[in-house]
Amino acid sequence: MNKLLNQSLKQFLVYSGIVLACSIPVYYIAISMLWQYELSEHHIILTPEADREDSFLIIGAVTLLSVFFFALLLGGFVLLNRRISRRLWQPFYRSLAQIKNFNLNQQAKLPFEPTNIAEFAELNASLDKLIDGNIAVYAQQKEFADNASHELQTPLSIVQSKLELLLQSQTLRDEQYKLIEEAVHALLRVGRINKNLLLLTKIENSQFTEKEDIDLSGLVEDTVLQFIPFSQDKEQELQTSLLPGTRVQGNRMLIEILLNNLMTNAIRHSPPRSPISIDLSGSSLVIANAGSVPLDASQLFKRFSSASTQTPGTGLGLSLIQQVCNRYNWQVVYAYYNGRHIFSVRF
Amino acid sequence: MKILIIEDEQALAQSIGTYLSDTNYLCEFAATFGEAMEKVEVYEYDCILLDLMLPGGDGFKVLEELKAMKKQEGVIIISAKNSIEDKIKGLEMGADDYMAKPFHLSELGARIYSVIRRKYFGNVNIVEQNELKIDLLAKAVSVNNREVPLTKKEFGLLLYFISNKNRVISKSALAEHISGDIADMFDNYDFVYAHIKNLKKKLTEAGCENHLKTLYGTGYKWEI
Repeated sequence: MNKLLNQSLKQFLVYSGIVLACSIPVYYIAISMLWQYELSEHHIILTPEADREDSFLIIGAVTLLSVFFFALLLGGFVLLNRRISRRLWQPFYRSLAQIKNFNLNQQAKLPFEPTNIAEFAELNASLDKLIDGNIAVYAQQKEFADNASHELQTPLSIVQSKLELLLQSQTLRDEQYKLIEEAVHALLRVGRINKNLLLLTKIENSQFTEKEDIDLSGLVEDTVLQFIPFSQDKEQELQTSLLPGTRVQGNRMLIEILLNNLMTNAIRHSPPRSPISIDLSGSSLVIANAGSVPLDASQLFKRFSSASTQTPGTGLGLSLIQQVCNRYNWQVVYAYYNGRHIFSVRF
Repeated sequence: MKILIIEDEQALAQSIGTYLSDTNYLCEFAATFGEAMEKVEVYEYDCILLDLMLPGGDGFKVLEELKAMKKQEGVIIISAKNSIEDKIKGLEMGADDYMAKPFHLSELGARIYSVIRRKYFGNVNIVEQNELKIDLLAKAVSVNNREVPLTKKEFGLLLYFISNKNRVISKSALAEHISGDIADMFDNYDFVYAHIKNLKKKLTEAGCENHLKTLYGTGYKWEI
């Protein structure tokens, strides 16, 4: 990529080169004519050899001088260009640096320095407007996410609390209790979906920006430990092979969400008494579990595409996994090999 | 024990009130910021449940005011927001706990119990119930003065039952209490059953009367 002023510099140089080149024959003709005039005035007649020699001398001198001046121009242009670009474009570069450091998340306006160059003033004003708009939209979206959460969570908690009160009735029959329990179950699922949708929105809105250095090996190990009761319920063996000391940069909460969802999927979607393997190497995490049919990789990571009636999840787990991976430019890949679903995250 | 429920959603406030109104707790209600400030200034409570979004003002202000008045009330924030920032802010401002809606009433019961115990029974925090004695600080349980070794999860469950005595507790509430967000992701709560079975066995073997009743197949109740 070329700098803007270098583009014009090249054209200036080509133009001056052409002008100087054109000036060589003009000078030659003019000097020759003067020379001839002087010679004839003083009645000097040269031999043809001397005449040719003079011509060569004139051409040589003129060319040399032109080249010299061209070099002078070249040097001058380059130096001037450098100075002008530094001074003239300074407001532009300052604005650029500010925009580069802009973080929508901080919701802070950019204090552009006033400039007396009309174009830059206009540019800064337009940028200001654009950024204001972005900040407003972002704040609105965030507010919507917050409000949606509030509006939905409150009625949900009312229903849940009423059902729980109903459980306290003295005269419940077994089947009535079962009905309530089933309703509570479905309600918890709605709450879960709501929570995950909000989480997705928040991640897409680039919230959770705090980053830290995380000991992934330790975190995976802790996560696996937490899931042991659930895998034991299904008599599944968790085979881990974790390379110690693997570290990543990221938001702890997001990475926990990633790991929890990967583990939940593996345990939930594999048959009882089948092994689940978790391999962490320096650059990837691979979780594999048994499965009878390959999944549709093109639909897999879309929202609600995987929600099935047999395994009542939220249908958002894999979307969450992908969003977290997108955030850190990691890759999550699905493969089906040898009767096993394999999810690998490369970081 | 007096509890103030600051919550603008009447239906939810009523549910909480009904659930808590057993012999121990006396509940009062405040539905707006103004009402909340009035009650907080005039009366003393043992525990305050504080919703953050109130008509007429911010719940954080109530908390600020409480701390400015140097009141000792335990405060549990109940918020629909479930945002980390709010949670950190609330705890930094002196709240004792933070619960995101929706929550199980039994979980709320357990949290209130633990906040009140922490606040008012500082150093000798021992719960006694007939032959059963629970040292909350040392996390030790004894029956007829003989110690019963419990795992961390079993101890947690026992405390959960004690703080929700005479209430029916569903298995899903217990699962969430033991495993937090992860339980949320599964629909199979069999692991809860295993912990409860062990707890029951240990207590009966030590000579404790069986207070833990199984109801309707999957519910539990600590009867006293």
